[in-house]
Amino acid sequence: MKKSLAGLFVAGALLATLATGCTSRPNAEELKQLDDLKAEVSSLERQIGAKQSEVAALQKAIADKQAQLAQCEKEKAQVQEHLKGM
Amino acid sequence: MKVLNCVILVAALVLSVGSYAAAQEMTKEEWQKQITEFTAKRNELKTKLAGVQAEVDKLKKDDADQAAAVKKCNDDLMALVGADAAAERGYAAKLDEIDAKVNELSRLSNQDLWARKGEIDDVQKMVDGAKQSKLGALPKYYDRIKEQQNRLDALRKTLEAAQLAMTYTVGTWAKDRDCLWNIAKKPKIYDNAFMWPKIWQGNKDKIKNPDVIKKGQVLTIPPKADLTKEEKSAVRSYWNKKKAAAEPAAAPAAPVKK
Repeated sequence: MKKSLAGLFVAGALLATLATGCTSRPNAEELKQLDDLKAEVSSLERQIGAKQSEVAALQKAIADKQAQLAQCEKEKAQVQEHLKGM
Repeated sequence: MKVLNCVILVAALVLSVGSYAAAQEMTKEEWQKQITEFTAKRNELKTKLAGVQAEVDKLKKDDADQAAAVKKCNDDLMALVGADAAAERGYAAKLDEIDAKVNELSRLSNQDLWARKGEIDDVQKMVDGAKQSKLGALPKYYDRIKEQQNRLDALRKTLEAAQLAMTYTVGTWAKDRDCLWNIAKKPKIYDNAFMWPKIWQGNKDKIKNPDVIKKGQVLTIPPKADLTKEEKSAVRSYWNKKKAAAEPAAAPAAPVKK
Protein backbone atom coordinates (compact mmCIF):
# COMPACT_ATOMS: atom_id res chain seq x y z
CA MET A 1 0.00 0.00 0.00
CA LYS A 2 2.80 2.37 1.01
CA LYS A 3 4.75 1.51 -2.12
CA SER A 4 1.84 2.26 -4.46
CA LEU A 5 1.30 5.64 -2.81
CA ALA A 6 4.93 6.60 -3.19
CA GLY A 7 4.84 5.47 -6.79
CA LEU A 8 1.84 7.67 -7.52
CA PHE A 9 3.54 10.67 -5.94
CA VAL A 10 6.69 10.16 -7.95
CA ALA A 11 4.70 9.80 -11.17
CA GLY A 12 2.76 13.01 -10.45
CA ALA A 13 5.94 14.94 -9.78
CA LEU A 14 7.47 13.75 -13.01
CA LEU A 15 4.37 14.72 -15.00
CA ALA A 16 4.28 18.22 -13.48
CA THR A 17 7.95 18.72 -14.25
CA LEU A 18 7.45 17.68 -17.84
CA ALA A 19 4.37 19.92 -18.25
CA THR A 20 6.08 23.09 -16.93
CA GLY A 21 9.27 22.40 -18.75
CA CYS A 22 7.49 22.38 -22.10
CA THR A 23 5.56 25.76 -21.63
CA SER A 24 7.04 28.76 -23.65
CA ARG A 25 8.01 31.92 -21.64
CA PRO A 26 8.91 35.55 -22.60
CA ASN A 27 12.61 36.28 -22.79
CA ALA A 28 14.35 39.15 -20.95
CA GLU A 29 13.95 41.62 -23.85
CA GLU A 30 10.23 40.97 -24.05
CA LEU A 31 9.86 41.41 -20.31
CA LYS A 32 11.72 44.76 -20.56
CA GLN A 33 9.36 45.83 -23.36
CA LEU A 34 6.41 45.17 -21.06
CA ASP A 35 8.03 47.08 -18.18
CA ASP A 36 8.74 50.06 -20.45
CA LEU A 37 5.15 50.04 -21.63
CA LYS A 38 3.87 50.04 -18.07
CA ALA A 39 6.19 52.95 -17.16
CA GLU A 40 4.96 54.92 -20.18
CA VAL A 41 1.33 54.38 -19.11
CA SER A 42 2.12 55.61 -15.59
CA SER A 43 3.88 58.67 -16.97
CA LEU A 44 0.91 59.48 -19.22
CA GLU A 45 -1.46 59.15 -16.29
CA ARG A 46 0.66 61.64 -14.28
CA GLN A 47 0.78 64.09 -17.19
CA ILE A 48 -2.99 63.95 -17.62
CA GLY A 49 -3.45 64.56 -13.88
CA ALA A 50 -1.22 67.64 -14.05
CA LYS A 51 -3.01 68.99 -17.12
CA GLN A 52 -6.39 68.47 -15.49
CA SER A 53 -5.20 70.53 -12.50
CA GLU A 54 -4.10 73.25 -14.93
CA VAL A 55 -7.55 73.17 -16.54
CA ALA A 56 -9.21 73.65 -13.16
CA ALA A 57 -6.90 76.57 -12.28
CA LEU A 58 -7.50 78.25 -15.63
CA GLN A 59 -11.27 77.80 -15.32
CA LYS A 60 -11.13 79.49 -11.91
CA ALA A 61 -8.98 82.35 -13.24
CA ILE A 62 -11.40 82.90 -16.12
CA ALA A 63 -14.40 82.86 -13.77
CA ASP A 64 -12.67 85.46 -11.56
CA LYS A 65 -11.98 87.71 -14.54
CA GLN A 66 -15.56 87.32 -15.77
CA ALA A 67 -16.76 88.45 -12.35
CA GLN A 68 -14.33 91.43 -12.47
CA LEU A 69 -15.59 92.34 -15.91
CA ALA A 70 -19.23 92.15 -14.81
CA GLN A 71 -18.42 94.34 -11.79
CA CYS A 72 -16.57 96.83 -14.00
CA GLU A 73 -19.47 97.04 -16.46
CA LYS A 74 -21.83 97.61 -13.55
CA GLU A 75 -19.57 100.37 -12.21
CA LYS A 76 -19.43 101.99 -15.64
CA ALA A 77 -23.21 102.19 -15.70
CA GLN A 78 -23.23 103.61 -12.17
CA VAL A 79 -20.57 106.22 -13.01
CA GLN A 80 -22.58 107.35 -16.03
CA GLU A 81 -25.62 107.64 -13.80
CA HIS A 82 -23.71 109.59 -11.11
CA LEU A 83 -22.14 111.90 -13.69
CA LYS A 84 -25.59 112.82 -14.95
CA GLY A 85 -26.45 113.95 -11.44
CA MET A 86 -23.29 116.09 -11.02
CA MET B 1 15.87 -0.76 -0.53
CA LYS B 2 14.43 1.63 2.00
CA VAL B 3 17.23 4.09 1.32
CA LEU B 4 16.45 4.00 -2.41
CA ASN B 5 12.78 4.72 -1.70
CA CYS B 6 13.75 7.69 0.41
CA VAL B 7 16.01 9.09 -2.30
CA ILE B 8 13.25 8.75 -4.91
CA LEU B 9 10.77 10.52 -2.62
CA VAL B 10 13.12 13.42 -1.93
CA ALA B 11 13.86 13.81 -5.64
CA ALA B 12 10.14 13.80 -6.41
CA LEU B 13 9.60 16.45 -3.74
CA VAL B 14 12.32 18.66 -5.19
CA LEU B 15 10.87 18.30 -8.69
CA SER B 16 7.40 19.18 -7.41
CA VAL B 17 8.62 22.37 -5.74
CA GLY B 18 10.55 23.35 -8.90
CA SER B 19 7.52 22.76 -11.07
CA TYR B 20 5.37 24.92 -8.78
CA ALA B 21 7.83 27.80 -8.90
CA ALA B 22 8.02 27.63 -12.69
CA ALA B 23 4.24 27.70 -12.90
CA GLN B 24 4.24 31.09 -11.11
CA GLU B 25 6.29 32.77 -13.88
CA MET B 26 4.55 34.57 -16.78
CA THR B 27 3.81 32.53 -19.82
CA LYS B 28 4.26 33.88 -23.34
CA GLU B 29 0.48 34.07 -23.75
CA GLU B 30 0.12 36.11 -20.56
CA TRP B 31 2.91 38.44 -21.69
CA GLN B 32 1.23 38.92 -25.04
CA LYS B 33 -2.08 39.63 -23.35
CA GLN B 34 -0.50 42.30 -21.10
CA ILE B 35 1.38 43.87 -24.01
CA THR B 36 -1.89 44.17 -25.93
CA GLU B 37 -3.75 45.54 -22.89
CA PHE B 38 -1.09 48.17 -21.98
CA THR B 39 -0.58 49.22 -25.59
CA ALA B 40 -4.31 49.92 -25.89
CA LYS B 41 -4.24 51.81 -22.60
CA ARG B 42 -1.21 53.87 -23.69
CA ASN B 43 -2.90 54.82 -26.95
CA GLU B 44 -6.07 55.78 -25.12
CA LEU B 45 -4.10 57.93 -22.63
CA LYS B 46 -2.17 59.61 -25.44
CA THR B 47 -5.46 60.59 -27.07
CA LYS B 48 -6.80 61.83 -23.74
CA LEU B 49 -3.64 63.86 -23.06
CA ALA B 50 -3.90 65.49 -26.46
CA GLY B 51 -7.52 66.40 -25.69
CA VAL B 52 -6.66 67.89 -22.29
CA GLN B 53 -3.74 69.82 -23.81
CA ALA B 54 -6.08 71.27 -26.44
CA GLU B 55 -8.46 72.30 -23.65
CA VAL B 56 -5.59 73.96 -21.73
CA ASP B 57 -4.55 75.90 -24.84
CA LYS B 58 -8.12 77.10 -25.42
CA LEU B 59 -8.54 78.11 -21.77
CA LYS B 60 -5.24 80.03 -21.82
CA LYS B 61 -6.49 81.99 -24.81
CA ASP B 62 -9.85 82.63 -23.10
CA ASP B 63 -8.02 83.79 -19.96
CA ALA B 64 -5.91 86.24 -21.96
CA ASP B 65 -9.04 87.54 -23.74
CA GLN B 66 -10.82 88.06 -20.41
CA ALA B 67 -7.79 89.87 -18.97
CA ALA B 68 -7.76 92.21 -21.99
CA ALA B 69 -11.50 92.84 -21.63
CA VAL B 70 -11.11 93.69 -17.92
CA LYS B 71 -8.24 96.09 -18.70
CA LYS B 72 -10.23 97.80 -21.44
CA CYS B 73 -13.25 98.19 -19.15
CA ASN B 74 -11.08 99.73 -16.41
CA ASP B 75 -9.49 102.09 -18.93
CA ASP B 76 -12.96 103.10 -20.15
CA LEU B 77 -14.02 103.70 -16.56
CA MET B 78 -11.08 106.01 -15.90
CA ALA B 79 -11.69 107.78 -19.19
CA LEU B 80 -15.27 108.45 -18.08
CA VAL B 81 -14.03 110.30 -14.99
CA GLY B 82 -11.16 111.88 -16.90
CA ALA B 83 -8.46 110.77 -14.50
CA ASP B 84 -5.42 108.58 -14.40
CA ALA B 85 -4.10 106.29 -11.69
CA ALA B 86 -2.00 109.03 -10.08
CA ALA B 87 -4.98 111.41 -9.85
CA GLU B 88 -7.06 108.63 -8.35
CA ARG B 89 -4.41 107.94 -5.72
CA GLY B 90 -4.38 111.65 -4.78
CA TYR B 91 -8.16 111.66 -4.55
CA ALA B 92 -8.19 108.57 -2.35
CA ALA B 93 -5.60 110.21 -0.06
CA LYS B 94 -7.82 113.28 0.24
CA LEU B 95 -10.78 111.10 1.22
CA ASP B 96 -8.58 109.36 3.79
CA GLU B 97 -7.74 112.77 5.24
CA ILE B 98 -11.45 113.65 5.45
CA ASP B 99 -12.16 110.34 7.16
CA ALA B 100 -9.43 111.00 9.72
CA LYS B 101 -10.82 114.49 10.46
CA VAL B 102 -14.40 113.23 10.78
CA ASN B 103 -13.25 110.40 13.03
CA GLU B 104 -11.36 112.84 15.21
CA LEU B 105 -14.35 115.19 15.51
CA SER B 106 -16.71 112.29 16.20
CA ARG B 107 -14.64 111.21 19.18
CA LEU B 108 -14.86 114.64 20.85
CA SER B 109 -17.11 115.43 23.78
CA ASN B 110 -19.87 117.94 23.09
CA GLN B 111 -17.88 120.67 24.82
CA ASP B 112 -14.76 120.03 22.80
CA LEU B 113 -16.83 119.74 19.64
CA TRP B 114 -18.33 123.12 20.38
CA ALA B 115 -14.89 124.61 20.84
CA ARG B 116 -13.80 123.18 17.47
CA LYS B 117 -17.04 123.72 15.61
CA GLY B 118 -15.21 125.74 12.98
CA GLU B 119 -13.44 122.55 11.92
CA ILE B 120 -16.76 121.01 10.90
CA ASP B 121 -17.09 123.75 8.31
CA ASP B 122 -13.50 123.18 7.18
CA VAL B 123 -14.19 119.48 6.67
CA GLN B 124 -17.44 120.34 4.91
CA LYS B 125 -15.42 122.40 2.43
CA MET B 126 -13.15 119.41 1.83
CA VAL B 127 -16.17 117.15 1.26
CA ASP B 128 -17.70 119.70 -1.11
CA GLY B 129 -14.43 119.76 -3.03
CA ALA B 130 -14.43 115.96 -3.24
CA LYS B 131 -18.00 116.06 -4.54
CA GLN B 132 -16.98 118.42 -7.33
CA SER B 133 -14.43 115.97 -8.75
CA LYS B 134 -15.61 113.50 -11.38
CA LEU B 135 -13.68 110.84 -9.50
CA GLY B 136 -16.42 111.09 -6.91
CA ALA B 137 -18.71 109.40 -9.44
CA LEU B 138 -16.78 106.14 -9.05
CA PRO B 139 -18.95 103.86 -6.91
CA LYS B 140 -16.20 103.13 -4.40
CA TYR B 141 -15.85 106.88 -3.70
CA TYR B 142 -19.45 107.91 -4.29
CA ASP B 143 -20.76 105.90 -1.34
CA ARG B 144 -17.80 106.92 0.79
CA ILE B 145 -18.44 110.63 0.24
CA LYS B 146 -22.11 110.09 1.01
CA GLU B 147 -21.14 108.42 4.27
CA GLN B 148 -18.78 111.28 5.14
CA GLN B 149 -21.55 113.80 4.48
CA ASN B 150 -23.93 111.80 6.69
CA ARG B 151 -21.39 111.78 9.50
CA LEU B 152 -20.81 115.52 9.18
CA ASP B 153 -24.58 116.10 9.30
CA ALA B 154 -24.75 113.94 12.41
CA LEU B 155 -21.98 116.01 14.03
CA ARG B 156 -23.90 119.19 13.28
CA LYS B 157 -27.04 117.70 14.81
CA THR B 158 -25.09 116.71 17.90
CA LEU B 159 -23.79 120.24 18.15
CA GLU B 160 -27.25 121.74 17.72
CA ALA B 161 -28.72 119.37 20.29
CA ALA B 162 -25.96 120.25 22.76
CA GLN B 163 -26.56 123.92 22.12
CA LEU B 164 -30.33 123.66 22.54
CA ALA B 165 -29.94 121.70 25.73
CA MET B 166 -28.05 124.55 27.41
CA THR B 167 -30.01 127.76 27.75
CA TYR B 168 -30.52 130.23 30.54
CA THR B 169 -33.45 132.58 30.98
CA VAL B 170 -32.33 135.93 32.40
CA GLY B 171 -33.97 136.99 35.63
CA THR B 172 -33.96 140.42 37.27
CA TRP B 173 -30.99 142.22 38.78
CA ALA B 174 -32.99 143.03 41.89
CA LYS B 175 -33.95 139.43 42.60
CA ASP B 176 -31.45 137.24 40.77
CA ARG B 177 -28.46 139.58 40.38
CA ASP B 178 -28.26 138.42 36.77
CA CYS B 179 -25.45 139.81 34.68
CA LEU B 180 -23.12 137.88 32.37
CA TRP B 181 -20.43 137.76 35.09
CA ASN B 182 -22.83 136.33 37.69
CA ILE B 183 -24.48 133.94 35.25
CA ALA B 184 -21.09 132.50 34.25
CA LYS B 185 -20.22 132.16 37.95
CA LYS B 186 -23.24 129.95 38.66
CA PRO B 187 -22.16 126.38 39.47
CA LYS B 188 -24.70 125.00 36.98
CA ILE B 189 -23.32 127.24 34.20
CA TYR B 190 -19.50 127.51 34.20
CA ASP B 191 -18.76 127.91 37.86
CA ASN B 192 -16.25 130.50 36.64
CA ALA B 193 -17.13 134.19 36.30
CA PHE B 194 -14.24 134.80 33.87
CA MET B 195 -16.03 132.70 31.30
CA TRP B 196 -18.66 135.42 30.79
CA PRO B 197 -17.30 136.38 27.32
CA LYS B 198 -18.26 132.90 26.12
CA ILE B 199 -21.92 133.63 26.87
CA TRP B 200 -21.60 137.06 25.25
CA GLN B 201 -20.00 135.73 22.07
CA GLY B 202 -22.40 132.78 21.96
CA ASN B 203 -25.32 135.22 21.93
CA LYS B 204 -23.96 138.03 19.76
CA ASP B 205 -27.32 138.27 18.02
CA LYS B 206 -29.07 138.99 21.32
CA ILE B 207 -26.41 140.89 23.29
CA LYS B 208 -25.00 144.01 21.68
CA ASN B 209 -23.60 145.43 24.92
CA PRO B 210 -22.45 142.82 27.44
CA ASP B 211 -23.33 145.17 30.28
CA VAL B 212 -26.97 145.08 29.26
CA ILE B 213 -29.08 141.93 29.32
CA LYS B 214 -32.83 141.95 29.65
CA LYS B 215 -35.19 140.01 31.89
CA GLY B 216 -36.72 137.05 30.06
CA GLN B 217 -33.95 136.82 27.46
CA VAL B 218 -33.16 133.17 26.69
CA LEU B 219 -29.40 132.87 26.37
CA THR B 220 -27.61 129.98 24.76
CA ILE B 221 -24.90 128.63 27.01
CA PRO B 222 -22.05 127.33 24.87
CA PRO B 223 -20.43 124.16 26.23
CA LYS B 224 -17.72 124.66 28.79
CA ALA B 225 -14.32 125.12 27.20
CA ASP B 226 -11.38 127.49 27.27
CA LEU B 227 -12.02 130.93 25.78
CA THR B 228 -11.37 130.94 22.06
CA LYS B 229 -9.14 133.45 20.30
CA GLU B 230 -12.22 135.38 19.14
CA GLU B 231 -13.69 135.45 22.63
CA LYS B 232 -10.43 136.72 24.12
CA SER B 233 -10.18 139.37 21.43
CA ALA B 234 -13.76 140.48 22.11
CA VAL B 235 -12.93 140.79 25.81
CA ARG B 236 -9.84 142.91 25.10
CA SER B 237 -11.88 145.14 22.85
CA TYR B 238 -14.56 145.45 25.56
CA TRP B 239 -12.06 146.48 28.25
CA ASN B 240 -10.31 148.91 25.93
CA LYS B 241 -13.63 150.62 25.22
CA LYS B 242 -14.43 150.74 28.93
CA LYS B 243 -11.03 152.19 29.67
CA ALA B 244 -11.35 154.81 26.97
CA ALA B 245 -14.79 155.78 28.24
CA ALA B 246 -13.50 156.07 31.83
CA GLU B 247 -10.58 158.37 30.95
CA PRO B 248 -11.32 162.10 31.51
CA ALA B 249 -12.09 164.04 28.40
CA ALA B 250 -8.98 165.40 26.74
CA ALA B 251 -7.91 168.79 28.13
CA PRO B 252 -8.85 171.67 25.95
CA ALA B 253 -6.09 172.88 23.72
CA ALA B 254 -3.95 175.61 25.20
CA PRO B 255 -4.72 179.06 23.93
CA VAL B 256 -2.50 180.07 21.12
CA LYS B 257 0.04 182.64 22.22
CA LYS B 258 0.12 185.67 20.13
